[in-house]
Amino acid sequence: MKNIILFILLGLFVSTNLFAQDEATEEKEKDKPVRFAWESGVLIDQQTSHIPTVKTLKMVIQHKFGPVENGHSDLWGIYAPAGNIRLGLNYVVANNVEIGWGISKRKMYNDFNAKWTILEQTRKNQIPVFVTLYGNAAIEGSPEEDFGTEYQFSDRLSYFSQLIIGRKVTDGISLQAGLSFSHANSVAPEYDHDRVGLHFNGRAKVSPQGAIIFNFDAPLKIDKISEQRPEWDNHPKPNLSFGYEVSTSTHAFQIYMGNSEGMLLQDIMMNNFNSTDFDNFAIGFTITRLWSF
Amino acid sequence: MEKHRNFLTLLAVVFIGGLLLSFVTVQDKKKGEAWDVPEKYQKMENPSKDDASLMKVGKILYIKHCRSCHGNKGEGDGPKAASLETAIESFTSDKFQGQSDGVIYYQSIIGRDEMPNYESKIPEEEDRWALVNYLRSMK
Repeated sequence: MKNIILFILLGLFVSTNLFAQDEATEEKEKDKPVRFAWESGVLIDQQTSHIPTVKTLKMVIQHKFGPVENGHSDLWGIYAPAGNIRLGLNYVVANNVEIGWGISKRKMYNDFNAKWTILEQTRKNQIPVFVTLYGNAAIEGSPEEDFGTEYQFSDRLSYFSQLIIGRKVTDGISLQAGLSFSHANSVAPEYDHDRVGLHFNGRAKVSPQGAIIFNFDAPLKIDKISEQRPEWDNHPKPNLSFGYEVSTSTHAFQIYMGNSEGMLLQDIMMNNFNSTDFDNFAIGFTITRLWSF
Repeated sequence: MEKHRNFLTLLAVVFIGGLLLSFVTVQDKKKGEAWDVPEKYQKMENPSKDDASLMKVGKILYIKHCRSCHGNKGEGDGPKAASLETAIESFTSDKFQGQSDGVIYYQSIIGRDEMPNYESKIPEEEDRWALVNYLRSMK
């Protein structure tokens, strides 16, 4: 698994450098960012490099139903009591910088987040990739007794930071790879406080407004930072999602299936113990709505 | 009992009266007034007039931002057009196509009333002209 991931990352790196070298011989002129790389700043659970223009307010509505395991008895999870909801607001404060806040049903997380697209891929490949930083800090809202006998407010805090590198490969295909670090101040004794993860996601347009989308998050088993070696009984499982996106001028609507109950990225990376068996998959949707001021 | 009957009779009269009145009320959409386009836009030159490579960009922008009201072929018959108070002028009409590129730019990007402003959604000047060029191709 590790080798496959390394090959993919190496391939992405080599191909982007080849493009860059082709262009290096051409005369340097002002190059503009590529158009229409993504339709939304959110791709299922993940972030994309897309940040709207300054002074845009974005509302994010994320919903996951229960798993499909019970079939028609609970309408493939749609009527199941389990499920998760996150409502978020983001505001673009400067060119390619947005800040936001969100609240989730699961563990009543309040998250404060920021995203900065440092580099944008340009049309003539003077810059061959998008480079984006994303981070959040979350406060878990569970009852005090869930944190044990020596409760402190800091036990509620968890963090997620991520470097995302993406490329619009063709007019219809955009891909991203990311590296992340998650940390939770308080975890159950059999879990780790820190987790490093890899992320791959993308979209393939099938019509002017429609695209097939996917997302894969892999929490890595790194012996040196684990507190649980050599047992490794409770290692989180990868998160796999795939779906369809429809976008308009101000909305992007994504419907998908995925195997993680979480929506907050550190929750997905540290607490997803659902395997990728089909029974664990749940239907979900993500909607973004933009208002410009 | 009598009170109830009177109240129901009154309700029936108001309902039937309202229904009949709706047949004589004009339900047509109002026609948009003439555009008051600033001189700056009237005299604006289209720097990308002959750039055929932008036609695809214009089409993508049209589908994303305009089609829901203006329809597939610019006839003003998109799915959201029915909920607007103002009738939409067809992009294929001589009246529309007879305007200068700068006027079409103003109408499309700056907007007024029910026609939204697209300055923040289409921030690049080149993309705005790509859209104007695409509207021009609808004649």
